[in-house]
Amino acid sequence: MAGSEGRTEQPQGGESGPGRRQFLRTLSGAFLGIWALGGAGALAAYMRAPEEDHSSTDRIVRIGKLDELRIGEARLVRHGVSPFFVIRTGSESVIALSAVCTHVRCILDYDHERRGLVCPCHDGRFDLNGNVVSGPPPRALPTYEVSTRAGEVFVRV
Amino acid sequence: MSTLPKAAPATSRWDRAIDWVDDRVNLSELFSFLTHFGLIYTPIDTKRPLRDVLHQVRTTPLESYARWPHILGLLTALLFGLEAVSGILLAFYYQPTTLSAYDSTRSIVRDVMLGWLVHHVHMWGSYLLCGVVLVRMLRLFWDGLYKAPREILWFSAVGLAWLVIQLDFTGLLLPWDVKSYWAAQRGLEIVWSLPIVGPLFSTLVGGRTMSEDVLNRFYVLHIIVLPLMYLGFVYLTFATMRRVGLSRIAGAVPKLTTFRRHVSDLIVITLLLFAGLVTLATLMPYQFHGAADPYQTPKGTLPPWYMLAPYALFQLPIPRWIPGLGLLAVALALPFLPAIVKGAGERLDEKRLRMAGLGVFGLWLVLSVLGALVDRK
Ligand code: FES
Repeated sequence: MAGSEGRTEQPQGGESGPGRRQFLRTLSGAFLGIWALGGAGALAAYMRAPEEDHSSTDRIVRIGKLDELRIGEARLVRHGVSPFFVIRTGSESVIALSAVCTHVRCILDYDHERRGLVCPCHDGRFDLNGNVVSGPPPRALPTYEVSTRAGEVFVRV
Repeated sequence: MSTLPKAAPATSRWDRAIDWVDDRVNLSELFSFLTHFGLIYTPIDTKRPLRDVLHQVRTTPLESYARWPHILGLLTALLFGLEAVSGILLAFYYQPTTLSAYDSTRSIVRDVMLGWLVHHVHMWGSYLLCGVVLVRMLRLFWDGLYKAPREILWFSAVGLAWLVIQLDFTGLLLPWDVKSYWAAQRGLEIVWSLPIVGPLFSTLVGGRTMSEDVLNRFYVLHIIVLPLMYLGFVYLTFATMRRVGLSRIAGAVPKLTTFRRHVSDLIVITLLLFAGLVTLATLMPYQFHGAADPYQTPKGTLPPWYMLAPYALFQLPIPRWIPGLGLLAVALALPFLPAIVKGAGERLDEKRLRMAGLGVFGLWLVLSVLGALVDRK
């Protein structure tokens, strides 16, 4: 619209007319552009859902009494979108590793006999260090730090 | 203006009522809405009174699109209408929260009077719609209907196909059934593998993994955002048709029908379609498998069928972004097919292009079958 108007009208203000008009047009374009960018930014910021496990208290998960976990037993901790296994491997040693297969995010099962994790989807297998033993998973499982205080097990996720 | 036929002067109450309203609101303009969304496509002058316009529409013979192969386009609009109506009905009871999505869907099917019918018709309608947009794209491609001046028609056919897939994908999750949950989770993984688009999309839907956020946003996309976009493309389709006319085989004479015949055809087709959907819904209802448990993956879940091909590639020991990039390239190339063909000029004759298209389609089918076999062990 503005373009055709500029062409049909005769510039009235002498020699500075077309230049000034062009300048104003660029300025308004830039102005609107900045507004559009700002709007897009605000929209994107709004659309970004707040992370669920953000607060620091959430980062340490209390699992329960050490005594309640039998040696060789694994417990699936239903922790938000990143569930993990807590496995007691010896009388004092407890490990924690992600229960989400790195292939297409199926939830792993604990294989008691082979002491590893096995995926129900495409039979991917992991050892207790999280390394891929066989199958399609492309990456090792993340492992989490476990601490025991006063007979209680905590996992830092 | 004066050459256009005028309606007879108002005699009945009904005519007078129309005239009364027409003097106060521009009814012709409202009526032209129907022309935008396909009921008729006789060009009308919205400045004239409605009864004149109707008279003109009724007496102008037109080339009906309620026939093969134009019916494919009609079905994309009609089925959408049926989906919209059944979808609105479902929304009266459905609750998009992780706790009650499954139960509310169950209760629509089990407890609400005729709820099962509405739900299953909605489901079967979506299957048919997927099939129709796919076949329509194939036929437009096969008959070369992406060439000038039909580029925009092709563009909106591709747009409609993408939208149907997204509608199906977002709708799939809503029952929060075990199968649908894990199928959608697989789908999200595939979307995530698309370079740039993947992360953008997961920002839009609230994450890479399923959660309350994702469910709610899928719902909003499914019932508001995507349908509005779909309507936009339906409009665009009929708008191109009003400008460039229906496609026809080279040299064929257009077959004209009366408006009355056209409308009765439309009604018959709608009724048949509805009857077909009801039959399918009754014979093959939706199977519930239990509420989804995000912490337990059932064996043998597949991603939705249109994602089986990239899913097959996911089983290969190559980085994810490679199939992702391939998918994105196809997705972006498809709407710009007319430009690509034009750019290639003489090197691409019709036959070769058709064969190439058929080859791509065949490859896609093979990959899809492979993808379907992945989880079957
Ligand atoms: S999802 Fe675990 S192996 Fe495929």
